[in-house]
Amino acid sequence: MRVVIAEDQALLRDGLGRLFADRGHQVVASLADAERLGTTVTAELPDLVVVDVRMPPTYTDEGARAAREIKAAHPDVGVLVLSQHIETTHAVELVALGGFGYLLKDRVLEVAEFLSAAQRVADGGSALDPQVVARLLAARTQDDPLDELTPREREVLELMAQGLTNMGIAKRLFLSERTVEAHVRHVLLKLGVPEGEDAHRRVLAVLAHVAARRA
Amino acid sequence: MRGRLDPLPCALLGLTLLADVAAVTLSVGLEPAYDTWLYAVWALVVSGTGALIASRHPENPIGWLFCGFALLNVLGDVAQGWGLRAAAEGWPAGPAGEWIATWSWLPSGLGWMLTFLLFPDGRLPGRRWRVVPLAGGFGMVLAIAGWSLTTERDGEFASGHNPLAVDGLPTSALMAVGMTLFLGALIASAVSLVLRLRRARGIERQQLKWFAFAAAVAAVVLPAGFFVYYETPLAGVVIALALMALPVAAGVGILRYRLYDIDLVVNRTVLYTSLTLLLAAAYVATSLVLGTALGHGSAWVTAASTLVAAAAFRPLRARLQTAVDRRFDPARAHALRQVAAFLEDLRAGRAMPESIEAVLRDVLDDPQVELRFLDPATGGYVDTLGIERANPADERRLRVPIEPMGVALCDPDRHANPAAVAEVVAAGRLAVEIARLRVELRRRLTQVEDSRARIVAAGHEERRRIERDLHDGAQQRLVSVGLALRHAQYELESAPREQVDRTLDDAVVQITAVIEELRELAHGLPPSQLDSGLAAALRELAARAPMPVEVDALDERVAPGVEAAAYFIACEGLTNVVKHARATAVSLTAVRDHGSLVVRVADDGVGGAAPADGSGLTGLADRVLAAGGTFRVDSDAGKGTTLVAELPCAS
Repeated sequence: MRVVIAEDQALLRDGLGRLFADRGHQVVASLADAERLGTTVTAELPDLVVVDVRMPPTYTDEGARAAREIKAAHPDVGVLVLSQHIETTHAVELVALGGFGYLLKDRVLEVAEFLSAAQRVADGGSALDPQVVARLLAARTQDDPLDELTPREREVLELMAQGLTNMGIAKRLFLSERTVEAHVRHVLLKLGVPEGEDAHRRVLAVLAHVAARRA
Repeated sequence: MRGRLDPLPCALLGLTLLADVAAVTLSVGLEPAYDTWLYAVWALVVSGTGALIASRHPENPIGWLFCGFALLNVLGDVAQGWGLRAAAEGWPAGPAGEWIATWSWLPSGLGWMLTFLLFPDGRLPGRRWRVVPLAGGFGMVLAIAGWSLTTERDGEFASGHNPLAVDGLPTSALMAVGMTLFLGALIASAVSLVLRLRRARGIERQQLKWFAFAAAVAAVVLPAGFFVYYETPLAGVVIALALMALPVAAGVGILRYRLYDIDLVVNRTVLYTSLTLLLAAAYVATSLVLGTALGHGSAWVTAASTLVAAAAFRPLRARLQTAVDRRFDPARAHALRQVAAFLEDLRAGRAMPESIEAVLRDVLDDPQVELRFLDPATGGYVDTLGIERANPADERRLRVPIEPMGVALCDPDRHANPAAVAEVVAAGRLAVEIARLRVELRRRLTQVEDSRARIVAAGHEERRRIERDLHDGAQQRLVSVGLALRHAQYELESAPREQVDRTLDDAVVQITAVIEELRELAHGLPPSQLDSGLAAALRELAARAPMPVEVDALDERVAPGVEAAAYFIACEGLTNVVKHARATAVSLTAVRDHGSLVVRVADDGVGGAAPADGSGLTGLADRVLAAGGTFRVDSDAGKGTTLVAELPCAS
C-alpha cells in the first residue's frame, strides 16, 4: 500500500509511519495538518489516507472535513479517519460511501487487525469501529427489527457493520463461510434489506438510517 | 427681579414723591390724618409699581398709566392742600385749588378703567372694546364739566361759592349723562377682565388671577368698608390697603414675580375667609341657642360656644379644603382623585405599579410624562422597563424630582403650574416607589441570571479544556507509547539489541511525560489544593508564581464554597498579574472582616486593567456575585492594580 498520513502529534505520526513501514507498506507523505492534504493526495494518488479527526487550527473536525473532500475528489482513494473519541453521526454517514474507515486511535495497537482494516479500506471496503457499532446497536427503539435477531445473527451483523467480509467473519467466529452466508441472509431478511451484491454496504446504509432516526 | 429704574419712570416717581411731600405739607392738620397719609402712600405705591413696570416693560402702557395717574392724583392732592391751606392762612388762589380738588378724583377712575381693559399685555381684548375707553373718556369730560361748573357744590368751597360756576348750564343733566357713561364704561371694563380670565390659559391666566384676586378682594372690602366707614377708623385703613393691593397685584402679574403662588393665595384666602365666617356663625348660633336656655352673658355659654367652634375647626377645614380645591382648581382635584383611585386599585391588586406612568400621562394630560429611576448601584437612571437612560438633567424637559427615587419628566410647554404637577406626582409616590423597587429587582435578577449563564458557560469551557487536554495529551501519548512497544516487538525479531533498548527508553520517556501531564491537569482543579486549607493553598499558589508574592491568609477553615471562590479569585488574580501587570511584587491577602472573607490581590505593576478588556475580570466579578459578594478593581494607569472581593461568610 502507498500511504499518506496526516497527524499533528509528531510522536504518533512517526509511530504510525513505522507501523506501516515495518509491515512493508510505503509511507509517501507525512503531514502535521490538513491544509496541504488535498494537494498531496492529488499529487500522490495513494491507496490509503490515514487522517486524525482533530488537527490545527481549531482542533474540532478538520480531519473529517478533509476526509469528505478527498472522497468527493478521489472516490477511489481509501480514507481512514482516526479519532480520540466515539462519535456516531459523521462516522456512519461517511462509512456508507465505501472505501472509508472510522476507527478509534487506540485500535492501532492491535496491529494485525488495524492493518487488515486499513487494507480493506484501501481496497474499497469499509471499517467501522466496534465501539461505534456497539453504540449504534445498543440504542434501541420500540419495534426494533434488531430485537428479532438471534445472538449469533447479531454477532454477524456487528462484524458486517465493522466492515468485515464474509470470509473475515467466518475466520473471526470460527464458522464455515457457508454458515456465515446463511446468517447474513437471515439478518438481511429480518432487517428488510433487499439482497444484492454488496450486502455489507447495505447493512451500513440501514445502520446510518437507524442512527439518523435516533439522532 | 431686577430693581433698577429707567430715567423717565424714575423722574415721574420723583415728581410724584415731590408733589406728595408738598401735598402732605400743605394739608397736614387741616383734614383727618389718615386721609392725608393714606392717599400719599397709595399714590407712591401706584407710582412705584408703575415705574417698575415701565422700566421692565416700557412697551406696556400700564406702567406709564400707573405713573401718570398717580402723578395726576397727587397733583389733585396738592391742589386740595393748597385750597385748604390758602383758606386757613389767607393765601391767594385758594378757590382755584378747591375747584381742581372737586373733580380731580375722576381721572383716577379712568385710569382703573383702562387698567382693567388693558391688563396684562397692554392691548384691548378686541377691536370692538375701543368704544369702552372712548365712552368712558367722553363721559368723564361731561361729568367733570357738570361737576365743576355747577353751583350745587358751593358748600365745598371755603368762600361758600364756586368761582367758576356757570349759571344756566344744565349741569345736572351733564353730570347724569357723563356719570352714566363713565360708570357703564367702568362696569364694561370689569366685565372685560372677567371675560379675559375665562378665556386665558397658561401664564396669562396666572397673571390675570393675581389682578382678579385683588379686584375681587377690593370688590368685597370696599363696599363693606364704606358701610362701616363711620363706625371705626380701621375701615379707612382696610379700604386703603385693599386699594393698594390692586396696583401691587397688577405689578406682580405683569412682572411675573411669584406668579404661581396665586393659586395657593386664592385657595387659602377663600378657605380661611369661609372658615372664619362659618365658625363665627357657629359661635353666634350656639350663643343664641344656649343664651336663650341659660340666660345671656353666662360664662358657660361663652365657653360652650368656643368649644363648639373649636371642635368644628378641623373637620370643617378639611371639608372646606376639598370643596375649595374642587371649585378653584377642578383639574388638579380631579387628577389627585384619579391618582388616589389608582393607589386604591394598586392596594387591591387590580393594578400594576408600573402603570403609574400611564396614569400620570392621563391625569396630567401630557403624553410625554416619563419616570426615570435612580439606580443606587450605578448612580445612573433607568426607565420603567429597567432600560438605562440618559441623565434627565441633560434634557430640556420639565423635571419634577421625586426625592430620593428619581424624577418625572414632563412636556415643558404643557404645564402652567409646575407646583400643581409636583403635587400630583407626589400623590403617586407610593406607586412610584414600588415600581422603582420592582425595576431594581428585575435588573438585579437579570444581572444574576447573566452572570449565572456566564458561570455555566465558563464551567462548560473548563470541562472542554480538560477533555481536550486528556484526549490530545495523555491519551495520544499513551497511544504512541503503545505504538513504540509494538515497534519494539517487531524489532525483537531482527534488529540489534541496542535499537530495541532505544525504542523502549523512548516509550518510558513518553510514560514519564504522561504522568507529569496528568499531575499538571489535576493541579488546576481546586478541591485537591484546598484539602489542607485556604492558607496552605494560597502559599502553594504563591510559591509557583514567577515573582515574589507575600501571603497573608487566615488559618481557620471557612465554608468550602467560600474557600473555593477565594482560591479561584486568588488564582485568576495572580494569573492576570503574571500576564498583564509587569509587576515586581504582589501581595495576596485573605482575611476575615465583619462576617466577610476579604480577598485582596494587589500588585505594583502598570495598572489600567478594566473588566471589558478580556483580562478575566468579568469572570471574576461573576464568580463573586454568584457567591453573594461584592467585587472592586482599583487600577489607575501607573499605580498598580488591586482586586478586592468581599465574600459573605458566617463565622
